[in-house]
Amino acid sequence: MSILLLLLAGFFLPLFPLSMVFNALLARFSHPAARVALIVVWPQLGVLLVLAAGLPLDGLHGGLFLWWGLATAAFYAWRLLTVREIGQWAAMLATSAFALTWVMAAASRHAADLQVFALGFAMAPALLVVIATLLERRIGAAYSGLVTGMARDVPRLAGLLTVVLLAAMALPISPGFFAMLDLLFRSPPGPVMLALLTWLLWSWAGTRLLRETVFGPRSGAETADICPAQAWAFTAVIVLAIVLKLIWTGA
Amino acid sequence: MIELQWLIPLLPVLSALLVHLLAGRLGKGVARLSVGIGVVTFVVALWQIVVYIVGGNGPGWIGLTASWGSLYLDPLSATMALVVAGFSLIVRIYSVRYMTEEAGYARFFMLLDLMSASILLFVTAGDLITLLIAWHMVSVMMYFLLGQNTESRPGERYAFWTFITYRIGDLPLVLAAVLLFQAYGALDFPTLFDRLMADPTVEVFGIPAAITAAGLIAISAFAKSAQFPLHTWLPYTMDGPTPVSALMHAGIVNAGGIIINRFAPAFVNADGVLHLLFVVGLFTAVIGSILMLTQNDIKKSLGYSTMGQMGFMIMECGVGAFSLAVFHLIAHGMFKATMFLSSGDLIGDARRHDDVPVNPLYSFLVDRKTGKTRLPWLVIGLVTLIVPLAILVLAHWAVSPDFFQKQGAIVLLFFGWITGVQVLFATHHLDATNPIRMMLMILMSFALIVIGYSFIGHAFETFLYPDAAFRDALYHAAGIDAVTFDGLVVLLGLVVLAGWIGSYLASREESLFGNRFTEMRLTLYSLISRELYISDLYERLSQALLEGSKRINVWTRWR
Repeated sequence: MSILLLLLAGFFLPLFPLSMVFNALLARFSHPAARVALIVVWPQLGVLLVLAAGLPLDGLHGGLFLWWGLATAAFYAWRLLTVREIGQWAAMLATSAFALTWVMAAASRHAADLQVFALGFAMAPALLVVIATLLERRIGAAYSGLVTGMARDVPRLAGLLTVVLLAAMALPISPGFFAMLDLLFRSPPGPVMLALLTWLLWSWAGTRLLRETVFGPRSGAETADICPAQAWAFTAVIVLAIVLKLIWTGA
Repeated sequence: MIELQWLIPLLPVLSALLVHLLAGRLGKGVARLSVGIGVVTFVVALWQIVVYIVGGNGPGWIGLTASWGSLYLDPLSATMALVVAGFSLIVRIYSVRYMTEEAGYARFFMLLDLMSASILLFVTAGDLITLLIAWHMVSVMMYFLLGQNTESRPGERYAFWTFITYRIGDLPLVLAAVLLFQAYGALDFPTLFDRLMADPTVEVFGIPAAITAAGLIAISAFAKSAQFPLHTWLPYTMDGPTPVSALMHAGIVNAGGIIINRFAPAFVNADGVLHLLFVVGLFTAVIGSILMLTQNDIKKSLGYSTMGQMGFMIMECGVGAFSLAVFHLIAHGMFKATMFLSSGDLIGDARRHDDVPVNPLYSFLVDRKTGKTRLPWLVIGLVTLIVPLAILVLAHWAVSPDFFQKQGAIVLLFFGWITGVQVLFATHHLDATNPIRMMLMILMSFALIVIGYSFIGHAFETFLYPDAAFRDALYHAAGIDAVTFDGLVVLLGLVVLAGWIGSYLASREESLFGNRFTEMRLTLYSLISRELYISDLYERLSQALLEGSKRINVWTRWR
C-alpha cells in the first residue's frame, strides 16, 4: 500500500517521467493565479501522500525514492540550462526543487519539515510565473533574448526579475537557500553531492536567463516599466517570505 | 564591547538601503552618504581591534540565537575587519569622482556597500551558517559589480565566469560545513573548534571529518583565490570598473587565505591537505608568473601577477606559515590597490607629458640598457650569494632562534634568498658613477626590508596565533621527513641554478643545446601564450553540456 502511495506522490513531488504531468498542467493553465496556486498546492498534496505512507522513508523503497528524487532534480536542473520561456523555466525549476523533497522525507520525521521545505521552494517559481505574465502583457511573450538590456530601460522590472532569479538559484537569504541548507545538514554525503550539483546547475541556468533579459545591449520592443506600487507589492511579498523563513530557522 | 561588532557588517547594509531609497532625492550625493558610513565602519573596526589588544580579554562570541546568526571577535576577525573596512573606504572615496560619468552611479555605490557588508560578515562570522551566507553573498555581489556596465557583453561574460567559478568553490565549503556539523554537532566556531581540537579523529559515515573538511575548504579557497586550474576568471575581470578591479585584486581574491586561517584547527590535523596546499600554491605561483611574462595585454598580465601572488600565499599556508599568509595578503592588497587606483593618474600624466626621464634607472629598467660592471666578478658573486643569506638568517635568528627546526621557515628563507640573489644580480649592472656606494645602498635596502619583515611578521604571528604550541603544531603538521625534504631542497636548488645559467646564456644569445630544442620551445611558448587552452577546454565542456540539455528537451517535448 505504501509503495502505491509513494508512486502516487511521485506525480506531486515530481519524479521523472511522472513529472511530465505537472509540467504539462502548468503549461495548460494560462491564468497566473491558477499557475501560482498549482505551484504552491501541488507539492503539498505530494507531502500529504508521503505522510500517509509514513516518515521517514527508509528501507529499500525509501532509498529508491530518495535517489529517484535526486536524479530527477539534477536532470531537470540540467534541462533548465536551455529553456528560454520564463513560464516553462519556472515549471522546470519547481520540478527540480520539489523532487528534492524526497531527500528531506528520508531525513526527517516531522511533517512540518517537509511542508515548509516544499513551500520554501515554491516562492521563486510562483513569483517567476507572475513576472512572466507581466512580460507577456507588455511584449507578447516572455522569452529570454526577446528583450535584452532591461536594466537600462525598465529598471524596476529588471530589478524584480533579478531578485526573483537569485531566489530561484537558492542564494542567500532567500527561503530556498535555507531550505537547501536544512536538507544538506540532515543528509549523508552521497545525496548531498548530487543535491550540490543540482544547486550549481540552478546557478548556471539562472545567470543564463539574466544574461538574455537584464544584461546586454538594449534590443527588442519598447516596453513600459512596472509602477512603483507594483514593485513595492512584490518587495513586500519577498520580504515577508524571507522573514517567515528566518523565523522558521530559529533566527 | 563585543556588541559593537554587529555594527561592522550592519552599517554597510544600512548604507546600501539608504543609498537605494534616497537615490532619487539626493542624486549623486548618495556617494557622500556611502563614504560617510564607510568612515564610521572603519572607526568601529579600529576601535574594536584597539579594545581587543588593550583590553586583553581574549576572543569573544555574540549570537542572535544559540543556533546561527553570530559574530566572532578574535585576532583574525579584528585584523581583517579593519583591513577590509579600510580598503572598501578607500575604494568608495576613489569611486566618488571616478564613476561620476558612468550609468548606474547610485546602484554602483549600493553594490559596493553590499559587497563590503558581505566581506565584513565573512571575516567576522561566528558560525558555519553565517559564514556560508557571507561566502555566497561575496560571489553574488562580485557578479553584479563586475557587470556594472549592464550593456557590455564582455563585462557580463567575464562576470559570469567569475560567478560560476565562485559557485564551484562555494559548494565544497557547504559540504565541509555539513561534515563538521554532523561530526561535532555544533555550528558556532568556539564550540566547534574546541570539540575538533579535543578529538580530531571523529568519522561521519566512515569519512574522517576534520581531514575531509580541510580538503574541501582548500578547494573552496582555490576557487576564490584563483588557484590552478580554477584561475581562468581572474585575468579577465579587468572589464569591470577600475575600483572593482582594485577591490577584487586587493581584497576579494584573498578570501582563500582567510578561510584557511579561519579553519586552522581543521588544517592542523590534516597534514596531507597542507602538502596539497603547498603543491597547488607552488604550481600556481610558477604558472601565474610564466603566464604573466608571456602576455602582451598589460591588464591580463596584472591578473596573472595576482594569480602568482595568490599561489605564493596558499603555498605559505602549505608550509604552516598561516599568519605569514595573512601578512602577505594584506601587503599584497595594499600594493595592488595602489597600482589600480593610481593607474588613472599615471595614464593622465603620460598623456600630458610624453617626455620620459633620462636617467640610468629608467634606461636600466625600461630600455634594458646595462652599464659596464666595474666591480671584480668574484666580489659580485660572493656578495650576491652570501650577503642575502646572512641577512635573512640573522634577522630570523633574532626573532626566533629555533626557526631552523621548522621546515616551513627554511622553505620561505630559501625563496627569500633566491629573491635577494636575483635582485642583487639584476641590479649590479645598473650604470652608476659610484658602483660600491650603489651596491651598499641596495644591500641596505634589502636588509631593511628583511629585518622589518621579520620583526613585523613575528609580532603579527604572535598576535594572530598567541598559542605557541598551536603555531609549532601548524609547522609540524606541514613538515615532511628529513630525507625527502633535503632531496627536494637540493632539486629545487638545481632547478634555480639551471634557470640562472639559462638566463645568463640567453642574455648572451647563446645556448648549450644549439637549435635542437627551438621547435619545442616555440610550441611551449604558443601553448603558454594561449593560456594553456584551459579556458577553451571549459568552453568545449560547457557547449557539450548545453547541447545535451537542448537535445533532451526536444526529445521530451519540453515537459
